[in-house]
Amino acid sequence: MSSGIDSAGVEEIEQSDSGPATRECPDARAVPPGQPRSARALKAGLYTAVALCLAASVVHVILVFLHVAPTNTVSKRYSPLVNAWVYPFFEQNWRLFAPDPESVNRRILARTAHTGSDGSVRVSPWFDLTTADRSAVEHHPFPSHTAQNMLRRAWAGYVDSHGGDDKARTERALMMQKYLSNIAADRAAARQGGVFDFIQLRVVTLPIPVPGPAVGNHPPTPVENRLLPWWKVTRHGK
Amino acid sequence: MENEAQMTASAGAVRWLADRVTAVWDLLTGHPLSLYGASVLRIGYGLLYLVFLLREFPHRDEIWGPGSPWTPALAQQLFEQTGWFSVLVLSDSHVYFELCYVLALVASGLFLLGWRTRVLSVLFAVVVISFHSRAIFMTDGGDNLVLLMSLYLVLTACGRRWSLDARRERLRTMRAAVAPASARSRFARELHDARTTLTTVVHNCGMFLIAAQVCFLYGSAGLYKVQGALWGGGTALHYVLNLELFRPWPALSHFVDEHTLVVAVAGYLTVLLQVAFPFVLFGRLKYPVLAMLLGMHIGIAVLMGLPLFSGAMIVADAVFLPDRFYAFLPHLCRRVVRRPDRGRPVSGQAVSPQAVPAQGGPGGTSGTKHRVGLPGRPR
Repeated sequence: MSSGIDSAGVEEIEQSDSGPATRECPDARAVPPGQPRSARALKAGLYTAVALCLAASVVHVILVFLHVAPTNTVSKRYSPLVNAWVYPFFEQNWRLFAPDPESVNRRILARTAHTGSDGSVRVSPWFDLTTADRSAVEHHPFPSHTAQNMLRRAWAGYVDSHGGDDKARTERALMMQKYLSNIAADRAAARQGGVFDFIQLRVVTLPIPVPGPAVGNHPPTPVENRLLPWWKVTRHGK
Repeated sequence: MENEAQMTASAGAVRWLADRVTAVWDLLTGHPLSLYGASVLRIGYGLLYLVFLLREFPHRDEIWGPGSPWTPALAQQLFEQTGWFSVLVLSDSHVYFELCYVLALVASGLFLLGWRTRVLSVLFAVVVISFHSRAIFMTDGGDNLVLLMSLYLVLTACGRRWSLDARRERLRTMRAAVAPASARSRFARELHDARTTLTTVVHNCGMFLIAAQVCFLYGSAGLYKVQGALWGGGTALHYVLNLELFRPWPALSHFVDEHTLVVAVAGYLTVLLQVAFPFVLFGRLKYPVLAMLLGMHIGIAVLMGLPLFSGAMIVADAVFLPDRFYAFLPHLCRRVVRRPDRGRPVSGQAVSPQAVPAQGGPGGTSGTKHRVGLPGRPR
């Protein structure tokens, strides 16, 4: 397997080279007789280094392949090795819109609550965080990561670590909850100012209608309307 | 008799194997392959990162700074779990962050220009790792690819063409031609040769890793799509075109979406191109495939508002163009630029791969005035 990948790669590189030019390769192995010991040691060192480079490249390619491929018997068996090599710097995921693109749009809304000195609680109306992102993207040839990725990926991370309920059972889940709450609190503070102690999120998932002429004129009905618990906010509190 | 034939056959096999090993050795150690391709990667990713940093200038604190919702404490906590690393969390000070940001701009700019490229490539990789890992929950596939490439580029000699280093080297060679050659001991010469060989090997391995990486990217992106019912049904792009955060021009997306046939054909073509990519690289078929991928990425950049992602992919594709194409490119540009003055069409010969220096044409002296990067010039 390794030699197959290797020779394929080598052939490819040869292709992208400058082509039909005749090459004068100085033969690195031509060792004149009676050379001093230092030169021999140098040659041996060079061969070892070349062999190591080649071996490392082949090993890297195989391990990245196992990381990218679906979980299989080989990658399961060698998963400690694969993970030790690939993580963190060579981590990658190329399931771009695969196996299927998302067929929903999510709208994330937030509201804040402030407890007054007399003990009364004032709750703000809901405001839409996603619509702000959407209008930042609209008619912009180069949208910012803060609009396209920040809230979207924070929510994906929250769902990944929490699942269906809102109890943080792992350290990662707590971190994602803190992140999401910070994003919402920062945006609430930038939007309405003032102080607040609690924030609550609501996530409305709307299906993208199936292709074809629309049946009737009514807006799509949400497939999910998830109300999260109130979270204590420290960043923008009193 | 039979025994003898067997021995001849096995001797032939051994010779064949030895020839193959020699060929691989020569390819690996002979000279650095695809130097223009490596330089295109350097310029491409340096420029992309510079543009990215500048584009996010108004949001820099929100993304990477101490004021980010992904607080330095959260980032530090995650690094302890994952092994990532970032120079940005070494201090919570705003001044320190601004310094890092400016340093990242300078490093990207100098890397793009190819100044002291090997050192700058390490610095660039550290910058990309630091900014990527600090905002790991804000990255997408394009950022991931830039990170991987910045790591692989450290291995390559990506500053030998179209760079300040190349210019300095050219000037040095010109000066050395008039100055007497300094005598060096035999061992120093051998050490120098060994170093050159090792640099070449590391470069070639780096280019192999880059090629393999791009093949894995396309191969897996395509093969995972094959498993999706929506891609099979030809409606996947309908859903992609209706994602609200990836629809900077809603009217345009809506217009494309109305053409069911276009959506289905483009969806099928996307999957087929991605799956085919690793397999067409060994023949001439790669040129139409690369051209179609370029079209696809331009479409993604405009329709989905993902110019950075598309740019990263286009630069990665460009590494598969042969050096003779890049060597010929400046010549082609000059021809195109000069054409209006002359009022003459470019002859068909001009675009043939056997590029020759401009043979004077009606002007007479252009061949001597403009030195052309010839294919196969000594490296």
